[in-house]
Amino acid sequence: MSSSTFFGLDIATRGLYVAQRGLTNVNHNVDNINTPGYSRQVLEQRASRPILVTNGTGMLGTGAEVVGVKRMRDEYLDVKYRSESQYYGEWEVKYTLLEELQAIYNEPSNSGFNTVLNEFYNSLQNLSTDPSSPANRAALKEKAVMLTKYFNSVAEHFEYMQNDINEIVYAKVQEINSLADQIAKLNQQIYNYEVSGNVANDLRDQRGYLVDKLSKIINIDAYEVNYGKLPNGNDDTRFVITISGKAIVDHNNVSHLAAVQRDTKLNEEDIPNLYEVKWADGNRLTIKSGELKGYLDVRDGNDGLNGSNDFRGIPYYMRKMDEFVRTFARTFNEGIVNSDGTKTKGHADGYTLNSKEGDAPSGIRFFTMFDENGKPMSSAVFTAMGGNDPNNLDYDAMYSKITAKNFSISLDIHNDPTNNISISGAPGEVGNIDVLRELIDLRHNPYMFNEGSPEDYVKTIISCMGVDGQLSSYYVKNQTAIINQIENRRESVSGVSVNEEIGNLVRYQHAYKAAAKMIQTYSEILDILVNRLGI
Amino acid sequence: MRITNNMLINNMLSNLSRNLNRVSKYQDQLASGKKISLPSDDPIIASRALKLRTDVAEIKQFKRNVNDASSWMEITETTLKQIGDVMQRVRDLTVDAANGTDTGNDMEKTKVEIEQLKTQMIHLANTTYSGRYIFSGFKTDKALLNENGEFLINVSNDEQIFYEIGIGDDININVTGKDLFYYGNETDITGKKSGIIETFDQLIAALDSGDEKAVGDMLGRIDADIDNILRVRAEVGARMNRLELTANRLEDDNINFTKLMSKNEDVDIAEAIMNLMNEMNVYNASLATGAQVIQPTLVDFLT
Repeated sequence: MSSSTFFGLDIATRGLYVAQRGLTNVNHNVDNINTPGYSRQVLEQRASRPILVTNGTGMLGTGAEVVGVKRMRDEYLDVKYRSESQYYGEWEVKYTLLEELQAIYNEPSNSGFNTVLNEFYNSLQNLSTDPSSPANRAALKEKAVMLTKYFNSVAEHFEYMQNDINEIVYAKVQEINSLADQIAKLNQQIYNYEVSGNVANDLRDQRGYLVDKLSKIINIDAYEVNYGKLPNGNDDTRFVITISGKAIVDHNNVSHLAAVQRDTKLNEEDIPNLYEVKWADGNRLTIKSGELKGYLDVRDGNDGLNGSNDFRGIPYYMRKMDEFVRTFARTFNEGIVNSDGTKTKGHADGYTLNSKEGDAPSGIRFFTMFDENGKPMSSAVFTAMGGNDPNNLDYDAMYSKITAKNFSISLDIHNDPTNNISISGAPGEVGNIDVLRELIDLRHNPYMFNEGSPEDYVKTIISCMGVDGQLSSYYVKNQTAIINQIENRRESVSGVSVNEEIGNLVRYQHAYKAAAKMIQTYSEILDILVNRLGI
Repeated sequence: MRITNNMLINNMLSNLSRNLNRVSKYQDQLASGKKISLPSDDPIIASRALKLRTDVAEIKQFKRNVNDASSWMEITETTLKQIGDVMQRVRDLTVDAANGTDTGNDMEKTKVEIEQLKTQMIHLANTTYSGRYIFSGFKTDKALLNENGEFLINVSNDEQIFYEIGIGDDININVTGKDLFYYGNETDITGKKSGIIETFDQLIAALDSGDEKAVGDMLGRIDADIDNILRVRAEVGARMNRLELTANRLEDDNINFTKLMSKNEDVDIAEAIMNLMNEMNVYNASLATGAQVIQPTLVDFLT
């Protein structure tokens, strides 16, 4: 039975094409070794459809053909990666920001919270050994100023940090929207291309890479939804990305997120007009993890107070600072009520240096706050905030206005420390330090705060921060290990191995050479057939 | 499992990074001498560091207070000794004058000396330490006696100045003028005459009168004065002993707490150096082997 004249040539040509395709594929893979998100492509070839021979001698092979180019990708690993990468993003952000917070406090060191407090109490002690000395009184005033300025400075740093994080939140929302837009465009392109039955390998790689990036920033679920069948028999699948149940990308439609400024503060300690992240159509958004959650937690977290996040973020530490200065100022100025009901003396119960017999207690408050012009408030103005009856002041009203940012010594102490520091227990007695001793004893009074004495309070805050920081560093390490392991597996499945590709190169090269040799042989045969047979 | 070159490189890089992190950690420890740089490195150490720093700072302050207390009480003791010496001289003069060996002229000379001693006694009562009157209780800016020996101010026995020399531990550093110079029970002694000066005045009157017996009768009163002074001196002495013991204890505490503080947060230099060298070795080894592994591919061997 004869076959067509050029049948052999045809088979050889097919072989040539297949080998060429193979070489192109190897080239493509090798070029894209370092492309992030690239999955290697493998040529799928099979023997082309054989011709049926009717005389029962079997089927005639017709060569090879390329069925398709397969993209080596394990979708399950992608899902795993995205579900872990959100936690990685969240804890990496928290770890970095907590390090910054700790640096602001700068403990333990020779210039932090603890040292400033120590120096203040030391100056009180020095005053007790020579109470009428103007030098000691001036020194006390300076140490007190150092104390108040420390708090002012810490509060300002916190505010800057909160502002910086706020800006980053806005930028991240823009990034999310931009990624969503790009993914939607790719969705459309992939769909258009695949309607005709092909697989858009490189476009899918690009999309996968963008979705990976998105998954680190915010918690997403990405999957393909089946909408039925296309005319060519394939499934009609559309790609959907949802955040906490609502779709941000649905095929080629995008619902953006928006960063809207808050009218009312979530926490009293916040700076005004922080961004709230919502859907652009106004719906509320629940962010479960991802870098955005990390930033929001640190910016808004107040240990669950006021419905804020459960994380101990900047507002929590601001609140702790505010509580400290309020209670510290109040007990120093007014004294403290003991567990048995007696009240110790405060600075306001002391007598000034130049007091005469028969004078009333000075009523000077040592610590007040800055007024609207940034000047220290005088004791009289401050006391007036608590009402006009000096025996029945509303201390809560007075002291609730003090914050770490506006904490200051009073104008009276600022202007005339020598006279106005009221530590004497009786008028006209310059060596009397009864009130001063009660002020010094406050240092070890365990009832001042829930946490104990002032130094215990400081320790508690620093420990809290230290433990939170340590925890986040453990989480980051764990997540890094998990992510690395998943990446490794992905790379193992989808990565390009130079050795493999070179091996394939050699293989296809041989196949090409062999096919070329076949063509040469057939060419000679045809030559004989055409040119030598007959005349 | 299929291994690609990128996997090898990624793994090598992540391992290198881990090793370098450890090297960096020990490097930090060595450079700063501290085990931790942030509280999150070890919250327990950080918390204890805060407590121990406070303790050491407090002890240093107490030592300063003890020094100040010491100075004051030394001045007080010296003054009391001088007061005692004055009264002893008065006693000697009185004995001489009373035993009848003197003539009227000698009594006159004795009286002049007694008057001088009275003035000196008043000066001693108004001794100052660094500008503060040591016997005036809380009114350290006012002198105790005027030139007639009358109290210028009312000094009650409650006006005791306490210095803090330990946590919950304080010491009274002064002697109130009333305790030393007044014998009555009044609450307000302003304008009253000091008991010791009263002794002087009575003695001067007796010498004036030339009556040896009257002079001799003064001895009882003078002895009572001397006893009082001795009593006060003994008290001051006892307090000064306590101060010395406290100073010694504070010195020991200082050493102990500083040692604790250092043990808690300082790094053992030898150990840190050893760890650093160790990690450097590991790092170098991983660099060398990594370089060997990631380079060759099939391409190098195909001609």
